[in-house]
Amino acid sequence: MVLVVLTAMILITLDQSGNSGLGRVRSLFARVLQPFETAVETVVLPAERVWKGIAEVDDLERENDALRDQLARMKGAELEAESAILAFRELLRLDQLTSQFLYGVVSAKVVGDSPSNFQNTVEINVGSNRGIGVGMAVIDGAGLIGRITKVFPESSIVLLITDPQYSVSAQVLSTPEQIEDDSAPTSSTTPSGVPVNDLTSSTTSSTTTTSTTIAPGATTSSTTSTSTLAPADPSNVTTSTTVQRVIRETGTLEGQGADAPLVLRFVDTSSAVTSVRVGAIVDTAGGTKSLAPQGIPIGRITKVVRQPGTSSSLVEVVPSADLSRLNFVAVVLYLPSGSGR
Amino acid sequence: MQGSLLAPLFRLLPVGLTALAIQRVVFARHPVFDVKLQFVLALVVATGAVGGADRGAIAGFVLGLLYDASGNTPMGLMALAYGIGGMTAGYVQSITPDPQWWLAAIFSALGAMIGELGVPVAEAVRGESGWLDRGLLTVVPLVGAAAAVMCPLLMPVGRWMMGVKRKKWKAIPE
Repeated sequence: MVLVVLTAMILITLDQSGNSGLGRVRSLFARVLQPFETAVETVVLPAERVWKGIAEVDDLERENDALRDQLARMKGAELEAESAILAFRELLRLDQLTSQFLYGVVSAKVVGDSPSNFQNTVEINVGSNRGIGVGMAVIDGAGLIGRITKVFPESSIVLLITDPQYSVSAQVLSTPEQIEDDSAPTSSTTPSGVPVNDLTSSTTSSTTTTSTTIAPGATTSSTTSTSTLAPADPSNVTTSTTVQRVIRETGTLEGQGADAPLVLRFVDTSSAVTSVRVGAIVDTAGGTKSLAPQGIPIGRITKVVRQPGTSSSLVEVVPSADLSRLNFVAVVLYLPSGSGR
Repeated sequence: MQGSLLAPLFRLLPVGLTALAIQRVVFARHPVFDVKLQFVLALVVATGAVGGADRGAIAGFVLGLLYDASGNTPMGLMALAYGIGGMTAGYVQSITPDPQWWLAAIFSALGAMIGELGVPVAEAVRGESGWLDRGLLTVVPLVGAAAAVMCPLLMPVGRWMMGVKRKKWKAIPE
């Protein structure tokens, strides 16, 4: 035992003094030990796995269940977050649109569709308790979607604009330039010998267009004035004042079913031939008899079909609102003066 | 005696390497109550219990040296601690030449506790601080208990490793 103790003391002392021989012994021993470790691992690991399979199966199942539960909750949270983002965007658009109105609005959420295959209606979660009345226009962020047809204390039924029973007074807004653009060739030419830059910078002009009523039912609604000042030479001041005429054609917009475009019928059957073009904006015309106030966007004209033998045309309008994906809407608190409210 | 002690060294090395591999692969990876049970030390004390103090000291020294060579402890430190532990367990042979399994287990536990305690004590003697703390109150008894449990299983291995002949005689019952 004394020999053991003495040897150990010597070894400790040598190691403490940084003997390089002991370092080599260690590195050599590591190589020698490696195959033994590998052999033991080969033997032990399968047994260890079997033991873990037996002993830890309950824990693993519990952990697996917990992880699945956590995964499901995270998926739900992700969907909830995405839904919240979409709802926020929708509300933002709705708020941007309704902020331009002079009338109050009541925000609502679409809570149900029509149970029938033949009615284009949705149910919203506001009713007479919030001041909703039959006939009020309903909009979403993109524009008009319908009108209230039934009111309950806490809910209402909205008849969509695509329903064949729906009709509203509508107007088409266009300018004479747009009409001329439609009839004129689309190609443009530049006078030869004069660079485009010179042409635009050196020309001084003053143009004034006086608005006039050009057709029954069409009126001038607004003016636009633009002024341009060329900074290079004060003597070459280009002043352009243009009073643009906006031509308004009024008619009645009717639904034709869920998958069909709206149809616009004009008061003056000849107006469609002269002033209505594809792409023109259609919005509500308002008026004392209309249930919707003026200026609510409805959609764009997608097709103007000349009807042979007559002067009228069939004008198709695609609503700007996506009626198949309604979520948040707003009821415009407007009723015409003649309706008793 | 010296010759009979040196001869088994050739068995000590492979057995010690295997024991060390088991310690590193199994017991070091699966602590019990945050305590790594010492398989090599259990083999040392079991060898001491069947072979006596001298054989226990030699087995402890050699296996401890292997432990030192594979680890980060100064070369000879574990050899010293395990040598003392093996020697302590071997003192059971001074009580009775054919100890019962439970007596061997008790001495093995005692030797293992001393051997395990010897490591931090030796480190403290070397001047390293932080080795003697409350954690020893958990570590030392658990290592001792594990050695007591493993002792009956490892005694035949220790006997073969150190070339101890099983006694041919039996005590005459009274």
